[in-house]
Amino acid sequence: MRSNTILPSERLLPRLFLILLVAVLALAGWQWRHGAPLSANLMELVPGSTPDALELQAEQRMQEPLNREMLVLVGHADRQQALAMAQQLAERWQASGLFEKVQWNLQADLPALREQLLRDRLAMLSAKDREQLIEHPDAFIQQRVQTLFDPIAGFSLVPSQDDWLGLTGRIQNSQPQHGAVQLDIGSGALIADADGKSWVLLRARTTGNAFDMKLPLHVADLLQASRAQAGEQGVQLLAASGLLYAANGQQQATREMTWVGGGATLGILILLLLAFRRWRVLLAFVPVVVGMLFGAVACVALFGHMHVMTLVLGSSLIGVAVDYPLHYLSKSWSLQPWRSWPALRLTLPGLSLSLATSCIGYLALAWTPFPALTQIAVFSAAGLVGAYLCAVCLLPALLSGVELRPARWPLRIAERLWQWRAALIKRVPGAVLLVWVLLFCAGGLWQLNSKNDIRQWIGAPPQLLQEAQAVARITGFQPTSQFFLVRADTQQQLLERQAALGQRLDQLVNMDKLQGYLALNQLVNLPAEQQQLRDALNKLEQHWQPLLDIGIPVDALQAEVAQLQALPTEDIDAALKGPLAEPWRTLWLGKVDGGVAAMVSLQGLNNPALLRVQAVDLPGVQLVDRLGDLNRVFADTQISAAELKLLSCGLIVLLLMLPFGFTGALRVVALPLLAALCSLASLGWLGQPLTLFSLFGLLLVTAISVDYAILMREQIGGAAVSLLGTLLAALTTWLSFGLLAVSSTPAVSNFGLSVSLGLAFSFMLAPWAGQQKHAL
Amino acid sequence: MLAKIANDNAGRLTPRGALRFFASKLAPTVAAALLSFSAHAFDLQQLSDQLAKPSVIHGNFTQEKHLRALPQPLVSKGTFVLAKDHGLLWLLKTPLQQDYRITSQGIARRDANGWHLLPNKSAGTEQNRLFLAVLQGDSSGLQRDFDLQLQGQAQDWKLTLIPRSLLLKQVFTQINIDGGALVKTIELLETQGDSTVLRMQDSTADQPLSDAEQHDFAQ
Repeated sequence: MRSNTILPSERLLPRLFLILLVAVLALAGWQWRHGAPLSANLMELVPGSTPDALELQAEQRMQEPLNREMLVLVGHADRQQALAMAQQLAERWQASGLFEKVQWNLQADLPALREQLLRDRLAMLSAKDREQLIEHPDAFIQQRVQTLFDPIAGFSLVPSQDDWLGLTGRIQNSQPQHGAVQLDIGSGALIADADGKSWVLLRARTTGNAFDMKLPLHVADLLQASRAQAGEQGVQLLAASGLLYAANGQQQATREMTWVGGGATLGILILLLLAFRRWRVLLAFVPVVVGMLFGAVACVALFGHMHVMTLVLGSSLIGVAVDYPLHYLSKSWSLQPWRSWPALRLTLPGLSLSLATSCIGYLALAWTPFPALTQIAVFSAAGLVGAYLCAVCLLPALLSGVELRPARWPLRIAERLWQWRAALIKRVPGAVLLVWVLLFCAGGLWQLNSKNDIRQWIGAPPQLLQEAQAVARITGFQPTSQFFLVRADTQQQLLERQAALGQRLDQLVNMDKLQGYLALNQLVNLPAEQQQLRDALNKLEQHWQPLLDIGIPVDALQAEVAQLQALPTEDIDAALKGPLAEPWRTLWLGKVDGGVAAMVSLQGLNNPALLRVQAVDLPGVQLVDRLGDLNRVFADTQISAAELKLLSCGLIVLLLMLPFGFTGALRVVALPLLAALCSLASLGWLGQPLTLFSLFGLLLVTAISVDYAILMREQIGGAAVSLLGTLLAALTTWLSFGLLAVSSTPAVSNFGLSVSLGLAFSFMLAPWAGQQKHAL
Repeated sequence: MLAKIANDNAGRLTPRGALRFFASKLAPTVAAALLSFSAHAFDLQQLSDQLAKPSVIHGNFTQEKHLRALPQPLVSKGTFVLAKDHGLLWLLKTPLQQDYRITSQGIARRDANGWHLLPNKSAGTEQNRLFLAVLQGDSSGLQRDFDLQLQGQAQDWKLTLIPRSLLLKQVFTQINIDGGALVKTIELLETQGDSTVLRMQDSTADQPLSDAEQHDFAQ
């Protein structure tokens, strides 16, 4: 036995550590000076598969409205009631200050519409009308005469005297239409009729976006209150918005963090109290708190902010961080009288080894292409270093003077377990056991299937999805996440390329595979086409006699043709200025590195696979399908994750060769690998799919369970005591990770399940780590 | 990303929605004016009842379109049939021939192959809803969108409709309707200075629907 006196270095260490702690606290305070640096942006978590800046820009442009706008349908069998409620809600929302703009009715700016129609007469005339004017001028004039007398279709926004040829009326009628929404004459509201109710459209644009931390929750609260208000009068609300998903995700994260963090903390505290029967043993939680602090500070320092998902998964760090104090606390069963510093001295090599192996395991996660896992890895590694430092430098000082007299029953359990194992080994040779285990593994792996989908990240409640689907059904708007990106050297080439794509898409629309699409070539004619129109107008004089017959002065017609000739050739930028261009405006990306680019957005897609074919052989046309790309990345990453796992094992073997020699190190690393294999097999037996996240979980388990193997191999204080230490460590870790399995986010729950399984097998296999001879 | 599924871009329709509406603005107004209203003194309710009485009205019409830039109005003539249970037939004879039909199914136009529903004006649109509300003597639709003023007596009255909503005000300043037992004149004053006058002449409520007319409504 070494001396129980305290070394001089052990007097200095707590002070040094306190100085470090104060410094880190100060840094944390500075980082939080503008509020919590938290983020809830789901897209930050998934791999950035697009190296292309333009593609990214296009994607952000398409996403922007989703993250800022909320669409609500206010429904009642009586249209007036629905309108009145929509108006009430709009006023309430506007007053809430959450929204930049709340719109339930529109007062169209007719002068601006007229101006655009007149200015863009040549640029916006549809292909069909253009063809008639050029090919069949007589029919064109005849139709115009008819329209002038038509009591029904005779009304045009632009007065006849400004447009005798009626081009603006044709443009008006050829505007593409989507959806089932109608304008209510009196109120100006947009209304859709479905399911025996009138649904008034209410649109709100928030001041911030969905990834603002507080905004989505406020919006969700407001919606809930509005629902209640509407419900009192029998009015139903249907809402759809990215904000609601964000709010739901946040609430869920908070709830789960409370459950996982709180549950793990409570469980571990009770365990500590039961085992050690001293209130001061709860000080073992100080390293945990310090670890969390270190993790958060490192995360914010490296990434600028911390994601809520990191917090959820990071809260499982509690169970690992508490292992460090447990290492030497558990020695109190054999080491009597127990004193903090000497106990630490005994376990320090093991502790340091376990820190190194755990860090290697966690940091292996950092090299996956998943930003989420990189954050978690950094958070956890920094957290473990913090917890280790605290457990080594500060905690023994806090516990000095404490004499631990732990309860005997845990040791008796451990001894019993050890005896069972001895009896088992006596009866069944090790080789036979190994064969059984391998058979179990083979059987399980046979049944294991793999499944990867981006949707695993999102635990969206069915109610949100149903409402969104109902909104899509009632309004008839079904935007798709896929879109085409079209690049070209010039605007002219761009419009030509879009037209080529448009021809293929028209076929899909005709076959009912696609509901519709929006492309810039629908808005603006090619310069050459505008010129053809001018040429045709020059010859129109020979055909316009019927117009003269009904009394239109010839000089009025001549003046109009002269005016049309003088209209400048419009380019995309000019055409996008007017109010009619609103739907197309987001599609234009403008000048980009030496060329121009624009998007083609899609509506109501049945079969995404069909889209990929459309872009084939079309130069400059590219399908952007983020969901599909991500799913592919998921599958690819599984392989690289497996490689990382082997690599991290290799590193750990190298590290462990120092204390244990080559065969010893190999043995210590082989056990966690076998445990991982058993867990995989169990997933198979349980009928659970292997996902990327379960794989990541196993990657982590390897790192943690090396720790148990080391603990068992060191066997300080006897086999039973070491087994008890391992049991306690496994239990605490399981308390925090296992609780993740109850998460409603499939990704998180998968992760929790595989870690839980891995821990169980690691504990069972740890005693086979062999025994290291110590010069005690 | 998932939210994309949920989202929509309703707002983008805004100007187009307005256009679709204006394109066929005239139809319901004409129909509404021909049919019925409600209110006071010789009140709107009495007028409404009076106009709702005949089940079929036959007559001739003259439409004058006064365009600011033309010294002479564009004049067209024809006949109409208004049937309470069916709808309106509007048969333009001069200077060109064109038949229109407004029913609960929408607005249709006749060409060589028969009746064709006009796109954008199909069943369930706002225009038809209003039209039918009026057809069924439901005056609330009109009163919501217009301020109604009625002067005169049962045999000689004048009804003025002034749009309430900003949207309608950008199109019409006023609509005037004169009549006795039946509607005689409808005058639509457009905000931009043009106007349309419809004169119903020789209206009679005595004849039932002919076979051909019944056939037209049935198709």
